[in-house]
Amino acid sequence: MTQAPVSNVVTAAGLEPALEPVSSGASRKARKKGLKDPKRKITWDRVRAQRALLAMAVPLLLYQILFKYVPVYGWAIAFQDYKPGRGNILNQEWVGFENFVDLFTGVNGERFRRVVVNTLGQSVLTLVVGTVGAIVLALLLNEVKNLPFKRVLQNITYMPHFLSWVIVASLASVALSLPSSGGFINQALMSLNIVQDPVLFLTEPNYFWGIVAGTNLWKELGWNTILYLAAITAIDPTQYEAAEVDGAGRYRKMFSITLPGIMPTIVVLLIINSGWILSTNFELPYFLGNGLISERAETIDVFVLRYGYELGNYSLAVVAGIFKTVVAIILVGSANQAAKRLNQETLV
Amino acid sequence: MSAGLVGCSADDAPDEPQDVVIPEGDLADQSGTLTPSNPTTITTWITSASQVPANDNKITALLEEQLGVTLKYEIVTPDNVDQKIGVMLAGGEFPDLVGTTDLKMRLLEGGALLPLDDMLETGDYPNLATHVEDDINKMSYSGTEVDPGLYIIPNYNRFYGEITGGTYYGPAFWIQKRVLEDAGYPDLENMTLERYFELIENFKAENPETEGIPTVGFELLASTGREWGMTNPPALLSGSPNNGGVIVDEDGNAEIYADKDIARDFYEVLNEQYDAGLVDPESFTLTFDQYTAKLAAGNVLGMHDQGWNFQTASDSLRSAGKDEYTYVPLMPVYDGVEPWYADRDVMNTNQGFGVSASSEQPEKALKFLDIMLSEPWQKVLSWGIEGEDYEVGDDGMFVRTEEQRANARDLTWRASNRLEALLDMLPKHQGQFSDGNAFSPDDQPTEFFETLTDYDRGFMEQYDKKTWREFVNAPPENPKYYPAWNIALSDDANQVNQQLTDANVQHLPKIIAGDPAEFDANWEAYVGAIGNIDVQVYEDAINAGIQERLSNW
Amino acid sequence: MSSISVTKPRVRRASRGGSPRRAWTTERVIFTTLNTTFLVLLAVLMVYPLLNTLAISLNDGMDAVRGGIGIWPRVFSLKNYEVVLNMDTIYQAFFMSVMKTVVVVATNLFFTSMLAYALSRNEFIFRRPITLIFVLTMYFDAGLIPNYLLIKDLGMLNSFHAYWVPTIISAFNLIILRTYMKSIPDEVTESARIDGAGEFRTWWQIVMPLCKPTLAVVGLFVAVGSWNAWLDTLLYNSGEQWLSTLQYELQKLLSSSMNAGANTAGNAAAVGAGGQLTTPIALRSAITMVAAVPILLVYPFLQKHFVSGLMIGSVKG
Repeated sequence: MTQAPVSNVVTAAGLEPALEPVSSGASRKARKKGLKDPKRKITWDRVRAQRALLAMAVPLLLYQILFKYVPVYGWAIAFQDYKPGRGNILNQEWVGFENFVDLFTGVNGERFRRVVVNTLGQSVLTLVVGTVGAIVLALLLNEVKNLPFKRVLQNITYMPHFLSWVIVASLASVALSLPSSGGFINQALMSLNIVQDPVLFLTEPNYFWGIVAGTNLWKELGWNTILYLAAITAIDPTQYEAAEVDGAGRYRKMFSITLPGIMPTIVVLLIINSGWILSTNFELPYFLGNGLISERAETIDVFVLRYGYELGNYSLAVVAGIFKTVVAIILVGSANQAAKRLNQETLV
Repeated sequence: MSAGLVGCSADDAPDEPQDVVIPEGDLADQSGTLTPSNPTTITTWITSASQVPANDNKITALLEEQLGVTLKYEIVTPDNVDQKIGVMLAGGEFPDLVGTTDLKMRLLEGGALLPLDDMLETGDYPNLATHVEDDINKMSYSGTEVDPGLYIIPNYNRFYGEITGGTYYGPAFWIQKRVLEDAGYPDLENMTLERYFELIENFKAENPETEGIPTVGFELLASTGREWGMTNPPALLSGSPNNGGVIVDEDGNAEIYADKDIARDFYEVLNEQYDAGLVDPESFTLTFDQYTAKLAAGNVLGMHDQGWNFQTASDSLRSAGKDEYTYVPLMPVYDGVEPWYADRDVMNTNQGFGVSASSEQPEKALKFLDIMLSEPWQKVLSWGIEGEDYEVGDDGMFVRTEEQRANARDLTWRASNRLEALLDMLPKHQGQFSDGNAFSPDDQPTEFFETLTDYDRGFMEQYDKKTWREFVNAPPENPKYYPAWNIALSDDANQVNQQLTDANVQHLPKIIAGDPAEFDANWEAYVGAIGNIDVQVYEDAINAGIQERLSNW
Repeated sequence: MSSISVTKPRVRRASRGGSPRRAWTTERVIFTTLNTTFLVLLAVLMVYPLLNTLAISLNDGMDAVRGGIGIWPRVFSLKNYEVVLNMDTIYQAFFMSVMKTVVVVATNLFFTSMLAYALSRNEFIFRRPITLIFVLTMYFDAGLIPNYLLIKDLGMLNSFHAYWVPTIISAFNLIILRTYMKSIPDEVTESARIDGAGEFRTWWQIVMPLCKPTLAVVGLFVAVGSWNAWLDTLLYNSGEQWLSTLQYELQKLLSSSMNAGANTAGNAAAVGAGGQLTTPIALRSAITMVAAVPILLVYPFLQKHFVSGLMIGSVKG
């Protein structure tokens, strides 16, 4: 996989035009503003003028409506006592908001509130640790100038992404176990004299969110840097040169050029992810959670699996799905609004 | 969709059964319904952990050659079946034969299956008719969602002749053979919890390490879905058979036992043993993998479990030649109680094949099940082909060579020479064939003895026993309703059952691992948590099920 | 026509060759040493589990159950791979997985980038509502049964179309691509249009070549997603063996090894058939390797597209 320098230059040259505007939020904003006024009006002439763009977008829009929005009639299940044996959705017994009331205030109400908190806790921690970790790693990798070495590093760090969660959970539970069971974390802590006796990590509720975040970080760190590294390629190298001429050091360049350069990517990913905060990874709490720590371990998805699917209670699963969707849209909307206020890249 | 199409094309022929040629031999269908001259494609949907047979499978070839039957498989593993059943029912189209293992009988209640009573009454299906004759009430659906009647032909535990076999797969407090050997093969009658732990304690004191790793006294698996290792003992200790979460008295009244004194006594002992260092502190965090690895390492002296659950670990120890680290079942009980650990195998009335309501050839599909239940085909499916997969001794008994046994253990070989997924779901001639051979090699007494190692032989001689089953109680006649654990529950009762399980999983580890001084407080908290659950709903549902069985079975 | 946009940067690029090599200052030596050490340690931490999984997969199954295997098999055996690779269904399923992944990546990149282009045009009048409609779909799912009924009603059950038709647009990738395309200066596309290029041509000939790094990343995401998916096979295509995919077959094998015994509680006859020559943990490791290696090999080929920009930096040193 050695590359002829010539083709590199061509490839990179091809990228060049993309580089400039990302660099400065101010200029982008100016451009947006300039376009704003005429854009407001939707006139027949404009529609005609944009018929090519419409031809590109409208069929796909209809496609998306058919495949994603039409099936949403299935949410009716949330308002029914759904039993597959009764035939299709129209033949079911309607129960109004009973399922919602049941979930939020019923016998499981207190428990449900707790699993929401757990989901949020695990998820926010995972997102923060994961994002910071990926950005730092991308910045550090960017400082590696030996290309083959850098490639090998990248190829290795993204590998854990391909291990299944069953295997990762298995590895994590061994790593966290007693030294006699292969628990190397305890071994390391003891040999460094940080602890005297081995710690039973998976019996202490307060460690669990951290364990989830740490395991996620390990598995997805390399994978998550991929987008940031791609974004870094889009930064105009002349900016670095100019900065060097101004006498900027390595850290100055990192913070003043690289980081702002990938900011649109960071912001967009953060907004997107903010909506998935209630849709955490299911496997870790499922495989690593146990009775002693379930008060911190159990998440919405685990709860829904056990009280929904396993008991054939489809309605409960749909109610939880609707709840997650509503929360997601509120969160994404707020994050998007916040980004707009700060003149950052937005989703919509 | 494919099922429908295949059904049509296969149905073209039967109106004019010209040139029906019935092959010679006892594998052919003498009624002429399924013959090579009128080929039939039967679509099947099977819940099974087994694989699709290989393309070159020899039994597949035999089916075509003798019956003209081509099978099309759709095999869904138990892990995935919940989702698949949901969408299949919504879609309303099913293959000819539907093989389900769903405890909640969703396919049946969802109207996916045909009632079979009338079809069996025609007399066209003699093997099936005989098979269900004695137990038709047990096998019949008695719920309210569809008309009562026979819909599913159970796949396991309808026995013919004597029940044979030497290995015990049921629940027990297991102990390593070396512990008993070291203690001079003590008497195992009238075992108590105290004596059980004493044996372990003494051995551990003398052998703090096993092959360089610390010896573990007692292991407990509390991992989600297998938590019964922790919750079932109180019932067994008090002489009740495995009825799941309830104890049923002689009048057929069921009651949960989780918060009763028999449970308290057991967990108090465990708490003391934990404090004394005999119970593995990692017990409650073990995944099933880690549990298996611990047992396979050979340093765990004992545990409560069901035999089938730790097969992999036993196999691993045996293959490493460490027979003394493998386990024997013990049956500790409370004072004045007869142990009832081993029960008589119960029929899985909610598992097996049914003929789908959307099949276009239900007669042929049912005929296929009937032919498969004939003794000649049962031998082919279970033992294989004579001379290839087993030999017949002068006395007419089947035996296998070492190579044939090795083949049967080989997943790859089995894909080409067995129809495991199909057999898993078919009704079976378990027990004995009319010639005295056992239904399967594993139940054949000679096969059991031949495969015993010298160590195991010697061990058994010390106790003057010939099989592992003799180490547990002789199973008494099952109560009429038995077992309560497979009574189908209403949604509400299921939810309560789940809440009870959750309370167990959350509180019992704290009770066991807690400071003995706080045992009472921890126990009270647990009883309080159970008190907050509407247990009555669950008990009522179980009791209704028992009463219904008592009057119908 | 498309040369307009390319020539300009090429000229600029040429001026860069002359920038001087940076000197090895003390600061640089310290930073490089620390950074290299840290990254190597990280790489070790990352690669260990994969090597561990590989070692277990090459180890005798019965022995592997005992645990404690590091990065080297204790009792070498190819039996686990023999079991996985001897399944008749594996090769056909591998072919189907490749087919499916290729078709899904091609259609998804084509349609998603086309839409992304339209939505990246600031003057496009329905830009915001359409974007919103797509963004929302990231956060809800109608549920198993309605989705299944849609596929069924479209006549796509047990057909190859069930694999790619429902996935030609992914909202996440749409946003990534659109964000990138928005950063392309308007002058580039405007000059193309002045030259008479239509929107389709501008998208395909001007914008797409500029998006290579992002397309590579998005293509990788789509490929990995499609390669690893098995639920679509289970729900829509499990009735036709030829439509089965590698992940689905491996998933079934995994589930069967883990459930050997578990689903036969009380069925002594079936349990006795256990005692296989391989074990769940060893088989699972072999399955992981078989499932992951093909897609692991794709990455280095795509990687060159999104490190190429950095390559310039390194040439300058």
